[in-house]
Amino acid sequence: MIDSTSMIKVKDLVRKYGEVTAVDSVSFEIAPGEIVGLLGHNGAGKTTLMRILTSYLPATSGEVLIGGKDVRENSLAVRRKIGYLPETPPLYPDMNVRDFLAYAARLKDAPAADVDRVLAECDLADAADKVIGTLSKGFKQRVGIAQAILNDPELLILDEPTSGLDPVQVRQVRKLITNLKEKRTVLLSTHVLSEIEHMAQRVLIIKAGKIIADESLNTLLTGAEGEQEIVIRMNGDGDDAVRKIRDLRLPGVETIEVRKLQQSLESVFIKLNE
Amino acid sequence: MNKIIAIAKKELAAFFKSPTAAIVLVVTISAFNVFFYLIIGERKEASLHEVFKVMEFFFIFIIPVLTMGVFSEEKRSGTMEFLMTTPTTNTEIVIGKFLGSLGFFSVLMGITLVYYPILEFFGSPDRLAMLSGYVGLWLEGALFIAIGLLASSLTQSQLIAAIVSYAILFTLYFSTVFTKSLSGSSEDLLAALTTASHSQNFAVGLITPVDLTYYLAGIVACIFLARVHIENRALE
Repeated sequence: MIDSTSMIKVKDLVRKYGEVTAVDSVSFEIAPGEIVGLLGHNGAGKTTLMRILTSYLPATSGEVLIGGKDVRENSLAVRRKIGYLPETPPLYPDMNVRDFLAYAARLKDAPAADVDRVLAECDLADAADKVIGTLSKGFKQRVGIAQAILNDPELLILDEPTSGLDPVQVRQVRKLITNLKEKRTVLLSTHVLSEIEHMAQRVLIIKAGKIIADESLNTLLTGAEGEQEIVIRMNGDGDDAVRKIRDLRLPGVETIEVRKLQQSLESVFIKLNE
Repeated sequence: MNKIIAIAKKELAAFFKSPTAAIVLVVTISAFNVFFYLIIGERKEASLHEVFKVMEFFFIFIIPVLTMGVFSEEKRSGTMEFLMTTPTTNTEIVIGKFLGSLGFFSVLMGITLVYYPILEFFGSPDRLAMLSGYVGLWLEGALFIAIGLLASSLTQSQLIAAIVSYAILFTLYFSTVFTKSLSGSSEDLLAALTTASHSQNFAVGLITPVDLTYYLAGIVACIFLARVHIENRALE
């Protein structure tokens, strides 16, 4: 069934490498304009899943529709809709930034003027004439993102966009992605948990090829299974707390309230992976 | 077509930035010049027939070096994933890369065209034989490049790609010596497959449909197999 309202629709997707199942009966849908984080350990199946979505890898079975089009049957049409940043930025070290983007623009049927737009959008104008091989990792990542947004794709698929960058570069790339997401659907993978908290509205957690959580970030962090804690305000010495709680009738306890504990995404993730 | 041209231009530009290709170009042209001088000086003939043979022999060694990285380097560096996720067909990718390599090879061949006015100055060469000789040599180079591209599509390692294409070219070129130990239809078959039996006709001014078909079919077959292979690599 084709659901034209979904930007990405994945149904019962399986991908095997020989005996190993890298993606195991995965189903999910992403609506246009959603920013979704794909979270998982290294080797959980994030990259394989993204490669299937971009039509680089065929699925063993299952259905993948991008903007209502099947990735295998309408591979070229699907590729026109997608801007993809692979895990390793796909760059030619001996080309300069502008030449590379002009080359990528031709392959993506983008107008030549688009090169200047993405240079500006990724804050690369000053580096346009530099040879890619001489750029820092953060700049290379921005060039990788710049090629992904050529021809203004409806869907951005970013595989580990901030991996291996220093904190300043991470912040720059994060800001760039935050600006990009204004008008597009974005699926970004990471194993850096804070990335998702900063950028995504919804989280898919993948473990050993299976989606083990698919929630909005809010629900996931304050979910029904959230732990409860008893907050005890005390006049006395904090070090006595444990002993005093054991003895329920101890004086000095002013209020006891029960409230939901806001979990960190990290703790949710670790718990789900246990 | 635009994408084929874009890929071919990018490939050609990459050759001119590559130290390996620059060394190959300089060394090959220098060697050709030395052989041209020696052969023409000794034979006192205004003909490139013998020079063509030397060039052909050189191609076995230089073309694997030129083509070894065409696909294998893209695979190793991850840019293959970029190429194959743009709305570009695999056929466009392979043909573009073939034309880029052929472009660089044509530059190399173009430099040797200077031999023609030299011969014209000192003697009266058979212009038709020289022209057909160049056509034959260029077609042979194109076939060797297609074979090199196919080898490069098989692996991530430039070294393995070079060795594989060198082994194929060497077999294709030298298997002619085995025809002497064969007879009948197997001799004919082997003779039909070796490059030497086809390039010789061009060198003496003979352009036959059989020889043209041999080269063109070989080129198309290799391009087709390379295309199949990059598709299958993605399946792994």
